[in-house]
Amino acid sequence: MRPVRSARLLRSWAFFILAGVALLALGACAATTNQNPTGDADPPNFFPGEVVTEQGALSAGLYGLIFFIAVAVFLVVEGLLIWIAIRYRRRATDTQLPTQTHGHNGLEILWTVIPAIIVTILFVLVLGTLERVQARTGGTNTDGSPGVTVDVTGFQWQWTFEYPQFTGAQGQPLSYTGAGSEGPELVLPTNQTIHFNLTAQDVIHSFYVPQFFYKLDVVPGRINQFEVVIKQEGTFGGQCAEFCGLAHNDMYFTVRAVPRAEFDAWVAAEQEKSQATPEPAPSGAATIAVTSVGIVQGFDPQALNAPADTPLTIELTNADATAPHDFAIAGTPEGDWQGDPDAGPGGSAVYQAPPLPAGDYEFYCSIHPNMRGTLKVGD
Amino acid sequence: MATTALPQARPYVSTRSRVYDWVTTTDHKKIGALYITTAFLFFLWGGLLAMGVRSELAVPGMQFVDAGLYNQLFSMHAITMIFLFVMPMMTGLGNFIVPLQIGAADMAFPRINALGYWLIPAGGGLILGAFLFGGAPIGWTMYAPLSTTEPARGIDMLLMGLVLLGSSSILGAINFIATIFKLRAPGMTLMRMPMLVWATLVTSVLLLFSMPVVTSGLVMLFIDRNYGGGFFDPALGGNPILWQHIFWFFGHPEVYVLILPAFGIVSEIVPVFSRKPLFGYRAFVLATASIGALGFSVWAHHMFTTGAVYLPFFSFFTFLIAVPTGIKFFNWLATMWRGQLRFDTPLLFAVGFISLFLIGGLDGAFLAVVPFDFMVQDTYWVVSHIHYVLVAGSVFAIFAGLFYWFPKMTGARLDERLGKIQFVLLFIGTNVAFFPQHLLGLDGMIRRVADYAPNAGWTEMNILSTVGAFMIAASVLPFLWNVFITLRGPRDAGDDPWEANTLEWATTSPPPVYNFEVLPPVRSERPLFDLRHGAVEPHGEAYPAIRGTTHGELREDAPEERLGQPVEGHEDASGEPRGITPGVSAEAPEATPGAGRDEPDLEQALREDGEKPTKASEKDKPPGDRA
Repeated sequence: MRPVRSARLLRSWAFFILAGVALLALGACAATTNQNPTGDADPPNFFPGEVVTEQGALSAGLYGLIFFIAVAVFLVVEGLLIWIAIRYRRRATDTQLPTQTHGHNGLEILWTVIPAIIVTILFVLVLGTLERVQARTGGTNTDGSPGVTVDVTGFQWQWTFEYPQFTGAQGQPLSYTGAGSEGPELVLPTNQTIHFNLTAQDVIHSFYVPQFFYKLDVVPGRINQFEVVIKQEGTFGGQCAEFCGLAHNDMYFTVRAVPRAEFDAWVAAEQEKSQATPEPAPSGAATIAVTSVGIVQGFDPQALNAPADTPLTIELTNADATAPHDFAIAGTPEGDWQGDPDAGPGGSAVYQAPPLPAGDYEFYCSIHPNMRGTLKVGD
Repeated sequence: MATTALPQARPYVSTRSRVYDWVTTTDHKKIGALYITTAFLFFLWGGLLAMGVRSELAVPGMQFVDAGLYNQLFSMHAITMIFLFVMPMMTGLGNFIVPLQIGAADMAFPRINALGYWLIPAGGGLILGAFLFGGAPIGWTMYAPLSTTEPARGIDMLLMGLVLLGSSSILGAINFIATIFKLRAPGMTLMRMPMLVWATLVTSVLLLFSMPVVTSGLVMLFIDRNYGGGFFDPALGGNPILWQHIFWFFGHPEVYVLILPAFGIVSEIVPVFSRKPLFGYRAFVLATASIGALGFSVWAHHMFTTGAVYLPFFSFFTFLIAVPTGIKFFNWLATMWRGQLRFDTPLLFAVGFISLFLIGGLDGAFLAVVPFDFMVQDTYWVVSHIHYVLVAGSVFAIFAGLFYWFPKMTGARLDERLGKIQFVLLFIGTNVAFFPQHLLGLDGMIRRVADYAPNAGWTEMNILSTVGAFMIAASVLPFLWNVFITLRGPRDAGDDPWEANTLEWATTSPPPVYNFEVLPPVRSERPLFDLRHGAVEPHGEAYPAIRGTTHGELREDAPEERLGQPVEGHEDASGEPRGITPGVSAEAPEATPGAGRDEPDLEQALREDGEKPTKASEKDKPPGDRA
């Protein structure tokens, strides 16, 4: 009888041992920090990475607390479960029924009241933190000086960042629309209140910077607002977090946080730059006219011809009333060539492309990489 | 014997082909089997889609599919698993088991039951067909205005398919509610119903209140897409947030629709394999009902980052749900406490459920912490949470239930060895696949992306997750083989292979068309336990603990407690259980298929009980004695 029992025991409990090993392995993976010869980021672990905003730090602090409560509950329940499973497994000597216990009111009350108390305490903590994370001053610093306001517009599949406080040459605000999969860069001062106004042109997006420990949806027909104070200089990646269609996974942007003085200098330089007149078309350039019809329909025409080794002037007419487009050529001798700036919804843009050797190229909209066509250069 | 006044029912002999038989059947057991088989086929299909998703995500860069196909894959994976696997599977198990557990001959509306089933392949066919028309790359949440502006025609097919599935669920819910309220056996009061019946009842109420809302919403989406309805389009004065409210008003109760039956299954299995009654039955019922009620007040916790909902309200109620869920966990532990746990496959899966669902449950409490939700909403952290709830929760419970009731459904027990191999693979695979996703989400990896940056440090965890996903896929193979060989083998499981407590084990395996000819008396939530161990004294004396306040206190003096002495012949030398009736082994010759049952023995036991056996026909009388 004995060997039979131990064999069954072995089979029955193998899974706990295996599970334990698996969890340990996981923990080891999580805890290992590699030496990163390539400069890659460390693998993630049980705690969030660096959090750079005042508000995010509050939220991340709350995570630490909840994490330890959850681990405690986890260990108690799993410990009980494993102990019960081992201690009260059926044995060959179990010929009599165990005591038929139907319940115990005291115990029921105990394990109703204790979790209720825990979650109530948690809820009160959440309320306190939530109030501070969501507090808004309308973009004013604590000392009363104005902070920086940023208007964010999301669209399929790029971002536009505008600084309504800082105007360029024609009185329009400084505005940056991303191109390619890198997206635009948002330059912000540290230790200043940054007020965000978020809206979308087409579908719902979400403004997410992991180092802010925060995200807020970018909803068409609605302006969502939040404020942060960045405490640390650096460059932080951001990404659209709400699924928004085909190129959702390419909707990146970066935030570069610099001291206020450096930020002011950057603003001045950008204002200067916006006053410069665009360079004239080189003489002898060939002109190509193309229309961007829409995200789904693409360009019209989808096949273009151009002479070889001649500077090109590309006139892009954007017939799409909802999204900006631009013009890029893949596979030129210098890599991809990219027209700048975009043609806004219903607008137009003129680009000066360098001479190209004869051959077949692909052109595309860098904002919507699915919009593609062929450019035949040569005779 | 006067008690056999009922004419002996003839075995059912069909003159039609078997296909015609299955297509036209209104037998709840056959419909249940159809549901279960259909759901399992969709499970394999949904799993295949998941393998596509995980293969693409294993390493950075695009290897197997392009972004467009990837978006179709993850959308269809979620829709298939939720609407075409877990929901029909739970409905199927309920269809088969619930009428048996309450001692009914069939569902209240057998033809509506058949209609409810046949809407599933129709709706499922439309949803599958969407792949031919550009798929439905809009996620299972179908957020407007993405869902109203995406041109793919497949989305229209998806919407209509879901409307059919929604109608099926509404019909099923009405049917279950009517069945449970009107067709219970004499003596089966509400507080003597098995926990699976309670779970099915609460689930049906949830469906009845939430399904019509989302079904109307789907029609609104369809109108928006095709006729310029403007319900959700801000340019036409609509509101995209409105869709989220409609969707999640259904979507959160839906989570409980997927998990409450799982709680019910586990609550059936744990007491049987512990040889103890469910600890705190009344608390269990209250917890189930309050989870159902609270389930309607938390929907907007899926919308914390929209900036358009009142956060404290939804945060508080989300926290509150942890309380009844916690009650269930502690009651399961207390049920096993001082029991005699026999780790057959059903209990293995049930214990696996308890140990892993705990992680999914704790994750839920994390997400109620609104500032933390701001960080992890729409990241892999949430993906991990939902899979710990639906794989570690629903899927483990479904397999527990399939292993537990397979002998009742087919007459044959699934192989234990293969079952344990499957369990180990699934248990490890689930953790390896989904635990790393917590860490990825916490580090900022968002979900629903076909690709991620190679320098983000996420590659190791993603490889691990993909390996785990393939382990889960591998765990299905032993199950398929198990079902195959078991169905080819002898049907010798007997009526009650597990020494179970509830009425479905009082009839043959598989049960005859009419389920029961004679029902044992129901004086507690464990009628078969009473029959096995308690039926020694006529009337009353044997049952004071049950009739009085059984729940809530341990009565050392109750005669029931003295009944623990071994019953002669109840177990053979190897400790294997035999028939349900003392002294009668499960291997008793049983010749007549269809009508075959342990009738003489059951009657013998009932006579010893000094009680008149309850006739199935008595249920046709006005149910005056149902307290």
